[in-house]
Amino acid sequence: MKDDRNIEYLVGKKAKLDVFLEPFSFKIVSFLDDLSKALDNNSNNKNFPDLKALSFFCRKNNILSLKDKHQTKNSTRFGLGLLFHVTPSNIPTNFAYSLIFGLISGNSNIVKVPSKKFDEIGVICRSINYVLNKKKHIKVKNMITVIRYASNNDLLTKKFSAICDARLIWGGDKTITAIKKFDTKPKNIDIPFADRYSISLINSENFLKLSQHKVLNLIKNFYNDTYAVDQNACSSPHLILWKGRFNMKAKEKFWLHLNNLVRKKYDSPLISTVDNYSRLAAEVIKNKNIHSFKSFNKSLYVVTLKRLYPNLFIEKPKWGFFYECNIENLKNINYVVNRGLQTLTYFGFSKKFLQTFFETNNFKGIDRVVPFGQALNINLIWDGYDLTKILSREIEIR
Amino acid sequence: MHFLNDLIKQNAYSLDTSSKSKFFRKHLNFLTSFHYKKSNLYKSYLNGINYNLKQNNSLSEIPFLPVRLFKEFDFLSIKKKEIFKTLFSSGTTSNNLSKIYIDKTNALNQIKVLQKIFYNLIGNSRLPMLVIDKQNTNLNRNSFNASTAAINGFSIFANEIVYLLDQENNIDYKILNNFLKKNHKKKFLIFGFTSNIYLNLIKKINIKKIHMKDFSNAFLIHGGGWKKIEEKKMNRNQFNLHLNKKLGIKNVRNYYGLVEQIGSIFFECKCGYLVASNYSDIIIRDENLNICKEGETGLVQLLSLLPTSYPGHSILTEDIGEIVSDHKCKCYGYGTRFLIHGRLKNAELRGCSNI
Repeated sequence: MKDDRNIEYLVGKKAKLDVFLEPFSFKIVSFLDDLSKALDNNSNNKNFPDLKALSFFCRKNNILSLKDKHQTKNSTRFGLGLLFHVTPSNIPTNFAYSLIFGLISGNSNIVKVPSKKFDEIGVICRSINYVLNKKKHIKVKNMITVIRYASNNDLLTKKFSAICDARLIWGGDKTITAIKKFDTKPKNIDIPFADRYSISLINSENFLKLSQHKVLNLIKNFYNDTYAVDQNACSSPHLILWKGRFNMKAKEKFWLHLNNLVRKKYDSPLISTVDNYSRLAAEVIKNKNIHSFKSFNKSLYVVTLKRLYPNLFIEKPKWGFFYECNIENLKNINYVVNRGLQTLTYFGFSKKFLQTFFETNNFKGIDRVVPFGQALNINLIWDGYDLTKILSREIEIR
Repeated sequence: MHFLNDLIKQNAYSLDTSSKSKFFRKHLNFLTSFHYKKSNLYKSYLNGINYNLKQNNSLSEIPFLPVRLFKEFDFLSIKKKEIFKTLFSSGTTSNNLSKIYIDKTNALNQIKVLQKIFYNLIGNSRLPMLVIDKQNTNLNRNSFNASTAAINGFSIFANEIVYLLDQENNIDYKILNNFLKKNHKKKFLIFGFTSNIYLNLIKKINIKKIHMKDFSNAFLIHGGGWKKIEEKKMNRNQFNLHLNKKLGIKNVRNYYGLVEQIGSIFFECKCGYLVASNYSDIIIRDENLNICKEGETGLVQLLSLLPTSYPGHSILTEDIGEIVSDHKCKCYGYGTRFLIHGRLKNAELRGCSNI
């Protein structure tokens, strides 16, 4: 085909992608375990904490524990067939997770990686190729194609959309709209990862009880959830809710420590100065719900709200721009909950308490409730989708 | 504004550093209070950032409005019926344009100031002008995009205007040949956007089709940004050299200005520096919005005495620049000398929202 000239094959080559397996097949578990080792053996790993995390995810033990958690007992399931993944440009390892989820659920995969040539993508694809060259992985070899082509190459997107059984569309609303224009088979399933926003919930009394060491640790976790990705991931919190009797004191302490860490560690381009200041300027003009604000430094703005209100995030902030609000009754979270709300990270509440709370309140949004530090930990359940189930079919046998 | 009438009697570069800073301090503080009273949006902004509305704030304390806000808000310090012209920034999507509202006084002052500044460049007489663009056939006289506004602004210095490009953006050699035949012996103006000059006078033009290739009396003025030129890996010197080699144009001057601030137009001097006139000035700010020292690169803040119909007397642009020492040259007269290093780059974000 003439349009093939515009594809760069990073893994596989026009392979026959008609293989499908049962979810958590031992073939996949064994492949991923070898991949984990191959990633570790790559001496460059030390420079890439995200590759280390990926290798850790692929270990046999981890996949088997996921199997324990997610595999439906006493049912016969197989992958849907062929998945087409359109992966985002700014988290280098995201394409690998998308691929791994496809494999675990038993599918063959065409993975389009972003045009930006991250080092991580090169390392991962080299490792995959190395492992796939082993004889024992011959079947898996027919399940993986990783390609790169320009996003505006409609011919190719059209071609892959026409043959796949499901599309995993990362990259937010714009990408989703663009990809959905291309026809699919009638039974195709689209899994869109739309633009989302996220919030945090802190129990101020419990926060103030923490030892200095634990405070610093909590702040570090919050930093990793936000600044590590310029606060631009869907799961990075943008609004902090304070619950408790000593909110004032807790806020002061929290932002002070975060500010120290940000000053020490965070580096952002000059445009962030203009983005953050312009956002603040626009907010003070139009937002009637602002109580006050504090600009600690160019990369830490905190806008304190009088009350919660709907459509708080028409345009998500980034570069360390936060909103905060006191919340007396947790049920008032409802004011900001809509389908766009993805993750709630928490501190100072028990898992059990939150379980009961969310069970008894039918919120329209919030797909993840995780402790501080885990906002970005991608997993088999993501954005409210139980991926191994959605990406496989069950044969009903009575 | 009476002080403008006094100022306009002087040369456009007559104020030395200390008298200019006193003058600006007084009048910009006045303008800040003036707009605070006249524009509710501006008032909310100043109240919102807890600005202390004193009359003797220093120049660096004068509040600045981020230029992006002109896209989101309609800033007006006049009644709607007093709007004489609306200027739009150049942009690709119509809902994302800056809107600048000008009344008659502001429009007139803008012309007066431009005339004063232009005098230092080419003198007082009107000249024939060759515009490196196509004629705008949109006849709405009350609303202008950046390119029409610029061409109209400069056209007051012309006694004859011809457009080099036809409506399909092709060079009309007949027009060019007629223009040269008639005007090559005396001083004449060439005006266009930097990118259009590059595309047409450096790239496209076929000198074999020019009957009388005599541009020795041409004075070429261009502006609008170097981005497209830099993409071709060409700098200012090479740009000027190309124009000289290919057509023999010796006088080439860049200008810098933003639709968002009337009165701020800065022409390059012979040494290659942009120079602020009596009516405007520049401040460079660092990543923390603190003032940069001479020679340090940072964000460009522009000051102008002119805007009274909208609060645009102090704006924070998205351009990067650097102030160079006053002692570098004496071209034009007094005034801050600076360089513009282009627009802020839309940085690559980490995160999951892009493809």
